[in-house]
Amino acid sequence: MDSVEGPEGPPPRVGALSLPSRIAVALTVGCVAVGALYHLGMVFLHVAPSNTLSKEHATAVSDYIYPEFEQNWKLFAPDPLQQNIHVQARADVLEPDGSRQTTGWVDLTAIDIAAMRHNPFPSHTQQNELRRAWGFYTDTHDTTERATAGDRSDLSRTYLLQIVEKRFGPTLNGGKVTRVQVRSATTPVAQPPWITGGAAQSTDYRVLPWWDVNTGSASTASTDPSAVPTTIPSAVPSTQPSAAPSAAAPVPSSTPSSGQENAS
Amino acid sequence: MTSPHTGAQGSHAPGAEPADISLADRVALLGGSVDRAVGRGLARITGSAIAPYQTAVIRIGFSLTWLLFLLREWPHRSELYGPDSPWSFDLAKRLIASNHAFTVLMWSDSRAWFEIVYTVAILSALMLLLGWRTRTASLLFMIGVLSMENRSVFMGDGGDNVIHIMAIYLAFVRCGQVWSLDRRRAVRTAAVEKGGAPAGDADPVGVALWVLLGAALVAASVAGKLTTGWGLIFWGCWVGQALWWAARRYAPGEPRTVLEMIGNVVHGGALLVIAGEVCLIYSTAGWYKIQGSRWQDGTAPYYPLHLDDFTPWPALSHALAGNDVMIMLICYGTVIVQVAFPFTLFNRRVKNVLLAAMMLEHVSIAITLGLPFFSLAMIAADAVFLPTAFLRWAGDRLVRLVGPRRVPAAVVGEGQPAPEAVPPAPTPQGPAVDPA
Repeated sequence: MDSVEGPEGPPPRVGALSLPSRIAVALTVGCVAVGALYHLGMVFLHVAPSNTLSKEHATAVSDYIYPEFEQNWKLFAPDPLQQNIHVQARADVLEPDGSRQTTGWVDLTAIDIAAMRHNPFPSHTQQNELRRAWGFYTDTHDTTERATAGDRSDLSRTYLLQIVEKRFGPTLNGGKVTRVQVRSATTPVAQPPWITGGAAQSTDYRVLPWWDVNTGSASTASTDPSAVPTTIPSAVPSTQPSAAPSAAAPVPSSTPSSGQENAS
Repeated sequence: MTSPHTGAQGSHAPGAEPADISLADRVALLGGSVDRAVGRGLARITGSAIAPYQTAVIRIGFSLTWLLFLLREWPHRSELYGPDSPWSFDLAKRLIASNHAFTVLMWSDSRAWFEIVYTVAILSALMLLLGWRTRTASLLFMIGVLSMENRSVFMGDGGDNVIHIMAIYLAFVRCGQVWSLDRRRAVRTAAVEKGGAPAGDADPVGVALWVLLGAALVAASVAGKLTTGWGLIFWGCWVGQALWWAARRYAPGEPRTVLEMIGNVVHGGALLVIAGEVCLIYSTAGWYKIQGSRWQDGTAPYYPLHLDDFTPWPALSHALAGNDVMIMLICYGTVIVQVAFPFTLFNRRVKNVLLAAMMLEHVSIAITLGLPFFSLAMIAADAVFLPTAFLRWAGDRLVRLVGPRRVPAAVVGEGQPAPEAVPPAPTPQGPAVDPA
């Protein structure tokens, strides 16, 4: 087979091989062809809209696809997200003199957004971390904050709590953080100006229950730029949260409340 | 309209030219041409690793994307995948216990281990980018990608998803045939062998790398860190490397040809899967958009341009979003291109126009939506469909542009008329350089 070696030689031909070699090559061709088509078929059933075949073979498809071939190409589809969701948090702190104090709401998403402004290469920690953690939480909880997905619900809750803990650090306003509360502020994107009948926009809040800080795993003060400043205005009763709170001036808020509140 | 019995065949048979050819003969003739076509196809996929330039460009594309991503996230690496992550080791362990995803980062929660893995991931991306020991590099690259992304699955986006899948496929593709250090070494070795040196050099570097990775594999296996499936895959690759090395050194005849052919066939299958995957990505992205009312009324792109997470340049985004005709054109254009793309593969010219349009759209997504790594990954995926002539032209231009001092390499590269003329690589890890 010297011709195989030489740069100018013709390609090796299957026909020129011995029978066992031909069988080996033929078997490989068969297995690879079947394997490639099977793989593509499975991926098709996984990514296509739910249909007769994918429902019938749901177990086989998910056994094959998960965990390494999981994928989702609903990019801005069927409809793009049409609302800005900001995750905000506040803390209860224990002062050295023994008094308790509730901080104002801190718009964590706004801090991320400020870090991404005019940055051609936003970090995943700013663009995905909070956004996907919130998505994970809402996917695994109903609107009354009851868990709907067993252990995954607990994972999402713990994850969100740990993000807030990391960003607040162990101390705020000179006191020790004892518990935190998370809420989302959802503001619809105004309809395009050329569309008539666009409704007035208002921000909806979804307020989660207070969560005790797990002192065991609470981080040391974070040096990361997304960390919250260590001084936050304390709760000021009767101040309405503005629709677009800025990162630099975290919004003080009214007393702990549940349910939704609207600011116009 | 004659009688209902006059079918197409019936009406043609009496007057048809080769009336004397029986049906059996026709079938035999057809069978013969099918045989020849199958024969040609078989010769093509066994005789060489097809599409050397396309596979090289996706190798470079994905490894570059991942390398730039890891370097960009260097300051945030521990928050993303390491001990400082809010997606803590404990949370990751609980999730992975249920989904069984592969990640070496769960082997230890120590900071040192994390730093080692992150560094090796960077080095393996660099290895793959340069095409140095491409087979080994592609495997290490895959391990790096899966380890990071499975460790903190909620940190990723569509770009990570693309790289995750493609990293697995790339491990099966002989993607170092051109534009690689492996290729350069293969050409040099071929020149030496022409001068009378014995074929199949011992390749001490390759052997050393193989021994080192073998030791790592033994350690991982003894420590019980590998599942049966992954263990079989890695040990299989390791044994395969040894076989390949032995065949080229001691059995340069038929055994080596057979191994070569098996490699080429696997390469072809993986390339088919990559091409199919890209088509599925665009198809489904298009199909789901068609179902959305905002994509139907021509306003969909307006909304992401007003989402805080995806507007690093608000003035630019809002100016774009303010142009109703432009938004409408982008909206319908995107859906048309995505849905149509797989079908345009049957027509070279239309396919190339669409390819250019999609790459351009991804460049603008990179800038306006602040998704540079997602866009780069998608452009790399698109590149698998670029025409060979264009890739070679672009490669030559680039070599001339950036490497005027690296004349020897450039001359060696240009001196070879085609990748098919490159001799096999001399190492066990060797590039997937085809013999023909």
